[in-house]
Amino acid sequence: MKASVFSGLMAALLPATVYAGDITVYTAYEEDEAAAFLELAKTAMPDINVNMLRLSTGDLAARIIAEKANPQHDVIWGFAASTIVNPEIADTLEAYAPAGLEKIPTSFRDGDNKWFAVTGYMAVLCVNTERAAKLGLDVPTSWADLTDPKFKGEVVMPNPASSGTGYIQVSSLLQMKGEDAGWTFLDQLHGNIAQYIKSGSKPCNAAASGEYTVGASFDMRAIKNIDEGFPMMMVVPAEGAGNELEANALVASSKNKDDARRFLDWTLTPEAVNAYYDWKAIVTLPGGSLPQKFKDAGLPEDTNSVLHPTDFAAAGADRDRIIAEWQRRYEN
Amino acid sequence: MTDQTVSMSSRLRQFRLSDKSFATAVSVGILVLMVIFLVIPAVSILLRSFVGDSGWGLENYTETLNSGRIRELVGNSLTVSAITAALAVSLAYVYAYSIQRTNVVFKSFLRIVVMTPLFAPSLVQAQGLIFLFGRNGAFNRFFGFDFDLYGFWGIVLANTLYTFPYAFLILSAALAAADARLYEGAVVMGAKPMRIFQAITLPSTRYGIAAACFVSFSLSITDFGNAIVIGGDFNVLATEIYNKVIGQGKFGLGAVIGVLLLAPAVISKLLERRIARGQHALITDGSKPLVIGINRSRDLAYGIYAYVVAGMFLAVPLIVLLASFVRLWPYNLSFTLKHYSFDVQNGAQPLWNSIVVALATALFGVVLVTIAAIVVQKFRTPLRGPISFLAILPTSIPGMVLGLGYVLAFNNPANPLNMLYGTFPLIVLLYIYYNHAQGFLITTTSLKQISSTFDEASTMLGGSQLRTLFKVTLPILWPTLVGVAVFFFMRAMVSLSAVIFLITPQTQVAAVSVLQLSDRGANNQAAAFSVCIMLIVLAMLLLARSVLWLAGAKNITLIR
Repeated sequence: MKASVFSGLMAALLPATVYAGDITVYTAYEEDEAAAFLELAKTAMPDINVNMLRLSTGDLAARIIAEKANPQHDVIWGFAASTIVNPEIADTLEAYAPAGLEKIPTSFRDGDNKWFAVTGYMAVLCVNTERAAKLGLDVPTSWADLTDPKFKGEVVMPNPASSGTGYIQVSSLLQMKGEDAGWTFLDQLHGNIAQYIKSGSKPCNAAASGEYTVGASFDMRAIKNIDEGFPMMMVVPAEGAGNELEANALVASSKNKDDARRFLDWTLTPEAVNAYYDWKAIVTLPGGSLPQKFKDAGLPEDTNSVLHPTDFAAAGADRDRIIAEWQRRYEN
Repeated sequence: MTDQTVSMSSRLRQFRLSDKSFATAVSVGILVLMVIFLVIPAVSILLRSFVGDSGWGLENYTETLNSGRIRELVGNSLTVSAITAALAVSLAYVYAYSIQRTNVVFKSFLRIVVMTPLFAPSLVQAQGLIFLFGRNGAFNRFFGFDFDLYGFWGIVLANTLYTFPYAFLILSAALAAADARLYEGAVVMGAKPMRIFQAITLPSTRYGIAAACFVSFSLSITDFGNAIVIGGDFNVLATEIYNKVIGQGKFGLGAVIGVLLLAPAVISKLLERRIARGQHALITDGSKPLVIGINRSRDLAYGIYAYVVAGMFLAVPLIVLLASFVRLWPYNLSFTLKHYSFDVQNGAQPLWNSIVVALATALFGVVLVTIAAIVVQKFRTPLRGPISFLAILPTSIPGMVLGLGYVLAFNNPANPLNMLYGTFPLIVLLYIYYNHAQGFLITTTSLKQISSTFDEASTMLGGSQLRTLFKVTLPILWPTLVGVAVFFFMRAMVSLSAVIFLITPQTQVAAVSVLQLSDRGANNQAAAFSVCIMLIVLAMLLLARSVLWLAGAKNITLIR
């Protein structure tokens, strides 16, 4: 304890000093998976001192934008691709093509090599089986099932204006049905929605803790809540799951680009890719296989087969317009 | 001013002069600090409201104000905050009255219990409320009720609990001071209790009530935590900032709403003089402390009220404590200690970091707000207007906005204080200025009740203003100041929304660990981490109490 307090005081008194071999990585990976990946990275590159800061996508984006005048980080790691393309963030990046980049399909990386995605996540439904049984509801298998009046007041969804996960759900439904039919469908769904929660993970947590029967959320949240022991199922909507990429990138202002590049190279090594397969349902590189608990949760071996083929560029370009229309319809 | 003082003024000119330069130096110093650590950060982000897609201009304002949405949001925010302020201030007034003016039992317990919303990060408070009153909460699940917490009344409930402690601290300080002579006189003249309350008690606490209303209203209108977790689809201005800044990375549009939220501070500043005009000093040279008379039925009635309120406040920490010891709330209630082996990044280290940060915040915070309060109340300097406005301004700035403002201001290489960025001292300064208004208002409320006749007497006896301060004012004020220090300590242990933008991998604080655990759905472990924070805060309260005890201040209470 004394040592801790002392080191705290020392850190308080001394401004952070940058040594060669130090890099700072900002990540939006979930806290436990980020810790597991970091452990591996440190073993693979013992000479680099990797400082990692983990915040949720929105908080991290706000911080990166605020720090824009003097970025404190060298690498962005596992950060929503639809947010990294925000010009305020994209402007701070420097193109870099790490070794092995060609193994990533072109749809999962930036044409100018400003970012590349090795992992991603998909939109799924979290269903509380205890609550469903109590209310006599069948477990839904698709978005369409959720428009059944029996689900009225039992479904929660993220608000697309504040949550990236919420936005990919809305935008994927609009992309797959076409805008006219898409909005008509969302109108129907709206009648059953109890709340549009302002975070992408909370709807699944709300379903897990039995506040509501169904929470639209994303895959990792569902798998982890099942793992925690909640009476819950994950349902990949039959229409196809909207999905989001988690991008890595080099920050142009980095003072230690050599080590930053080495770190980015490492994110494509077979060792790293294997680790992704332990934690993530979408990995853009071939390698390991899907862990048993993912299959138990209901994912097929080839997760690509259940994904809606997302047009990421269009999703990014239409964002403001879709959010404005969504708010006009459902929030006033 | 009496003739006597005027005639003596020539003899005292020497003292006055040195007093004057001292007062000016202190006022300038405190103002400069406020400008650096409050105004510049706030302006850095609020200026963004004028930066639109096509450069500088009013584009963001026209976009925001022309949407029909903004009117609804303003209406929602005003309604929620007004009802919250009315509820919190009236409940807290009666509660403070029970403690200060009746003989209810176990006052120390009652004082501490209503502070519990300040003991844990607000997201844990909100989670605790869901554990209790959620659709699958303890009441609905185990007792067969059918509450639906989410929405308008959910925010009102959560915000009332959240702002009650602040209102209580201010009102309790206001009710603590009383001159028994007034009450004795009223009784002799045959006034009924209700008449005495209206004629003496209420007017003498007018400033406290106004300050408590302002704090409660402002905290409620700027808080987005409760609105996000419990508000459901009920949108308010603060959640709109969250949408724009965190959801969409649009600082400009968020900043416009940040500017709108400054209105309560400006309006209250305009009203302040009117309200303060009727406030007179309560403790004067001839004061006699109030002795609470014996009245069984009164004590019983207030006792029942106080314990019902205390029960409501105790429920939340108790359910959090319970959740920290069960495997999986509410499905598997078997006992376990596993949530106390923290597997979050850096383990328990952030707790130690937070203790150091909180101690520094308490020490420097109490010094800075005391100086600010003394400058405003006791010094005749033209700077008191700006200082008193800036002192209360932080309650009108959402934590997120101030935190981002700190990044913009201090991460700038052109800023000579750039070296503070990424260090604990900057986090300490953020905590001090973020919580400045409440500390300032508690101190001011106490200070206002100390009559200026002390100063005049001291001056006539040849004491300088400085001497009067140390020999007269501070000895009367110091119990309040210890309470303010403990308040800063608590805030620094739990505040979250501002600090997430300043932490680095090396400077993580406890509240952030709770956020990370809660983010990944580990509610039980988040509860366990919060229990540790609550215990530290409680230990601090007890420690401060024992120090007072050992110093011989047996009948002085930490929370008034």
